Amino acid sequence: MNIVVAIKHIPSIADDLPVKGNNVDFDSVDFVLNEWDEHSIEQAVLIKEAVGGTVTVVGVDLIGELDNALHLALAKGADKVVKITADDPAADSHQQAKWLAEAIKGMGADMVFAGVQASNDIDGQIGPMIAAYLDMPYIGGTSAIEVSGNTATVSKEFPGGVGMKYSVTLPFVAGVQSAPKPPRYAPVSKVRQMAQTATIEKVAPTGEASAGLAFKKMAPPVATGHAEMIEGSPKEVAAKIVELLKSKGLA
Amino acid sequence: MLTTIEKILFILLALVSAGFTVHGFKTIIDTIRMGRPAPELKNIPASLLKAGVTVLFQQTIFKARKVLSAIHMGLFFGLITYAFVNLVDALEGLVPNFDLIYSGKHLSPPAWTVPLINAYNLISDVMSGFLLIAITVFLVRRFIVKDKALAYRENVLLNPKVKAGGQAKDSLIVGVFVIMHVSAHLMSQAYRLTEGADPFMPIASFLNSIFGASQTGVHVAWWISIGWVMFIIPYLSRSKHTHFFMAPINLGLAKQNPRGQLDPAIPLKVIDGRKYDPGAKVITDLAWTRIMDAYACVQCNRCQDVCPANFYGRPLSPSALEVNKRYLLKEATFGSHPDLLLAPLTETVISPEAVWSCTTCYACVRVCPVGNEPMADIVDIRRRMLIDGFEIDSGVQNALQSLATNGNWMGKGKRLRGRWAKEMEFPVKNATEEPVEVLWFVGDTASFDERVIPNTKMVARIFHQAGLDFGILYQNESNAGNDVRRVGEEGLFEQLVEQNMAAFGKAQFKQIVTTDPHSFNTLKNEYPQFGGKFEVKHYTVTLLKLFEEGKLTVKNKLSHYKVTFHDPCYLGRYNGGFTAPRKLLELLGVEFHEMPRNCENSFCCGAGGGQIWMGKVAPGERPAENRIKEALTTFERHPNEKKQLFIVTCPKDMVMYSDAVKTTGNEGKIEVRDIIQLVAEAVGVEEVSQIVG
Repeated sequence: MNIVVAIKHIPSIADDLPVKGNNVDFDSVDFVLNEWDEHSIEQAVLIKEAVGGTVTVVGVDLIGELDNALHLALAKGADKVVKITADDPAADSHQQAKWLAEAIKGMGADMVFAGVQASNDIDGQIGPMIAAYLDMPYIGGTSAIEVSGNTATVSKEFPGGVGMKYSVTLPFVAGVQSAPKPPRYAPVSKVRQMAQTATIEKVAPTGEASAGLAFKKMAPPVATGHAEMIEGSPKEVAAKIVELLKSKGLA
Repeated sequence: MLTTIEKILFILLALVSAGFTVHGFKTIIDTIRMGRPAPELKNIPASLLKAGVTVLFQQTIFKARKVLSAIHMGLFFGLITYAFVNLVDALEGLVPNFDLIYSGKHLSPPAWTVPLINAYNLISDVMSGFLLIAITVFLVRRFIVKDKALAYRENVLLNPKVKAGGQAKDSLIVGVFVIMHVSAHLMSQAYRLTEGADPFMPIASFLNSIFGASQTGVHVAWWISIGWVMFIIPYLSRSKHTHFFMAPINLGLAKQNPRGQLDPAIPLKVIDGRKYDPGAKVITDLAWTRIMDAYACVQCNRCQDVCPANFYGRPLSPSALEVNKRYLLKEATFGSHPDLLLAPLTETVISPEAVWSCTTCYACVRVCPVGNEPMADIVDIRRRMLIDGFEIDSGVQNALQSLATNGNWMGKGKRLRGRWAKEMEFPVKNATEEPVEVLWFVGDTASFDERVIPNTKMVARIFHQAGLDFGILYQNESNAGNDVRRVGEEGLFEQLVEQNMAAFGKAQFKQIVTTDPHSFNTLKNEYPQFGGKFEVKHYTVTLLKLFEEGKLTVKNKLSHYKVTFHDPCYLGRYNGGFTAPRKLLELLGVEFHEMPRNCENSFCCGAGGGQIWMGKVAPGERPAENRIKEALTTFERHPNEKKQLFIVTCPKDMVMYSDAVKTTGNEGKIEVRDIIQLVAEAVGVEEVSQIVG
C-alpha cells in the first residue's frame, strides 16, 4: 500500500495575525502544520499499521521552515518525506495543489490524503484539485478509511448524527476530516532524532495553477456587534428574551 | 543443657536454616543488582551510619501516626533485644551449665559483671513484655479493628496474591511467631527458676510462681523458642518482613540529590556498554535503589494517607506500587515465573490511570520512613509510555504540542508572552536587550492567564516602587519545563531548557527571581546539570529582602484580615521555602492561623505533574476543595468578624483555589489572594485602574 499525504504549512494563529498590504505579514508570523493534515497523517499511518505499506508525506516549503513538520511526520510513522522548495509564502492552495500534484505524479500512489481544509483559506480545494490533476476520484470529509485488497471503505459523518459508508476502488484522493483516533503524540526526542538522521527529498516546484483567488484587501476584523446584558430577576430576563425574539421575527 | 542428640539436631537445623537464609538474601541481592545504575551515591559508609542512628532512634516514622509509631518503636527495641536474647539462649543450650539466672551465679562470674548480668536479665524480661504488648496491638489493629489505613481502594491495581490476603498472612505468621517465641523464651527462663523469684526477672518470676520449675519444661520451651527462630529467619527473606533488614540499608542508600532533581531518563553511568531506552517499561528498567525500595516497604501506607490522588479517589496508592513490585519479584525469583521480569509495569504494578493521576507532590517520598521513591518510578513509567506511543490524555497532548511549538502550554504565540508588560504604566526592561540586576522568570500562567495577570502586574509595580532593577525575557522566555519533565516528556524538557539557556545567554543579570514555584524548582535544581549556574530566588524571598532593606515599608497594617497560608509543593516540601512567606505575613500584620497540614506536610492543590493540563476531570472531592474546607475549619476555631483570606504564592494555586472556593460554594466566606495583593495593600500600591479611573 503506497499512501501519499499532501500537507500544508500555514500561518499560526496562536499570535495575533499581522497584516501587511493585502496579505498576512509573512515575516512576522510563525508557520505551523495545518491541523487537518495531522489527521490525514494519522489516518495514513493507521492504514499502514493495519495492512502494511509506506507513507510518504509531501508539502510545499513556503518559507524554508517546513523541515520541522516533516520530521514530526516521520516521528509519527511516515517513511519518506518530500519538500517542494517554492519559497513563496503567498502561494495559494490552487498553486500548491498544482505543485503537489506534479510531485505526486511519479510516486505511484494507491491513495492520496489531504486535510479536508486548512484554516488559512478554508476553501478546501487542495484535495479535489490534486484529484483532478491526477485524474483520480475524490472523496472528501472522511472520518475513517479502512483498506482491504483493492477497495477502501470510507466513512463520512453528516450533520444530525447520520453516518455513511462508501466503498471506493483504489486509487483515489481523500480529503480527511478526521482520523478515527486522535492524532498520536510524537515525543520530541523522536522528532529530534529524525532531524538528525532523516533525509528530506527536495523537489523543485513545477507547473502553473490554472486558476486561483486574488486578494483584494486584508484587514483585521472590525467589531460590529456587541453583547447586551439583560438585567433583572430570572422572570424579567425571560420575558425580555421572549420579547426580543418576537421583535426579530424568530418566535 | 542440651543432650548430645539435641545438640546434633540443633546444629543440623541451624545449618538448614542458614542455608535457606543465605539463599533468600542472595536471591534478593541478585535481584536488586538487575536494576539500572542509580545516580551516584557519595560516602556510602557515612550515610549508612547516619541511617543506622536514624533507625535506632526511629526518627523517620514519627512524621506521622505518633502513637502507632511509639508502638513500632517498642517492637523495634524488643526485636533488637531479642537478637541478644537468642544468642544467650543458644549458649544456654550448647554450653553445659551456662545460664544467667540469679545474677549468673551458676557461672561464678567476676564481681564487676554481676550488674551487667542483672541489667541484661531485667531488660530482656521487661522487653519481652513490651514485645508481647506491641505485637498484640498490631495484630488487633489489623485483624480485629481492621484499620482502614491498611487497606487499598477497590480501584487500585493489586497483585492477585496481595488481593487474596498475602500481606495479612505474612503479618499473622510473624505475629504468631513473636508471641510463641517470646512466650516460649519467658517460659524457658521461668522453668529454670528452681530457687524461686529472681528480682531482676519479674515476668519470668511471675510465671514461675504459677508453673513452677521443670527441667523438661526448660527443654520443651527452649526448643519452641529457638525452633521458631530457625523457621522464621529464612521466612523473613521471602515475606514483607524483608523490611527488618532492608529498611535501614535502603534508608542509608536513599536519594542524595536535591528533592527537586529527578533522576535522568537514561542512567548517566553505563555498565558494559549497555544501551538503555528512556524510562521504565519492565521492573529491571528501574534503578537498583528503587528495586530495593520494594524490599524495604512494609506497607504501612503512610504514603497513601498523604497522597492527594488517593484522597481524590483515583486508583493510585504508592504503597500498592511497592508491594506489587515485591510480589512480582518474589514470583519471578523465588517462584516459577521468571517471565514476569519482562511483564510491563503498567499491567503488573500500577495501572496506566494511576500513573497519570500522580501530581508529583513528593508527599509520599517525604513521609516514607524507609526512604522509598515511588514517585520516581511513576515518572520513569510515564517517560517510557510517551516514547512507546501510549495514548495520552488529550489535554496533556495539547499542552505538550503547544509547548513544543509555542514554548507555552496555553496555545498562545510567543510574542504574546510579554503583552502584560507592554500594558504597564512604566517600561519593563527586556533583559535580552539591556543588563538588569534581577531577571524575572515569569512563567506561563502568570504571563498568559487573564485571572493571574493582575497579580503579575502588581509584582512588577512593587518591584518598580522598591527600585529593583529588573527585566523579563519577553518572547525569549519558554516554559521552564518542570512539569513537562514530570509528565515524562524528557525530550521536550531538554528542548525547553536549551531555549531558555539560549535566552539566559543573551541576557545580562545577577540573579533570577521567579513568581512560579514550579519554574523555581527546575531552574534551581535541574538547570545546573545543563550548565545553568545562577542564583534563583522565589519572589517571596525577594520581597522579604526588600522589606528588610527598607526599600519597602508597611504603611497600612493589615490587622483586619484573618489569613491562612498554603505551602506550594514545589516551594515548600521540595525546596524548604517555608519561612519567607510566613515572615512576610507577620510583617504585614495579618491575623495568621496555620492549617493542620502545613510546611512539609502541606497538601497538594492537585495541579502539579501535568494534572492541570488534563482534559478529563475525575469525579469526587478534589484535593483543592478539601484544602479550602481545611482552611475554613481552621478559621472556625478562631471566630471573629475579620475577612478570611487564603494566601497563595503560586500562580497555579491562584487558579486552583479560586475555582475550589466557587465549586464548594464558599464565595463570600473565604477569598483566595496572592501574597502580592496583601503586600500591595500594605505598602500602598493599588491597582492602576483604580488610580487612573
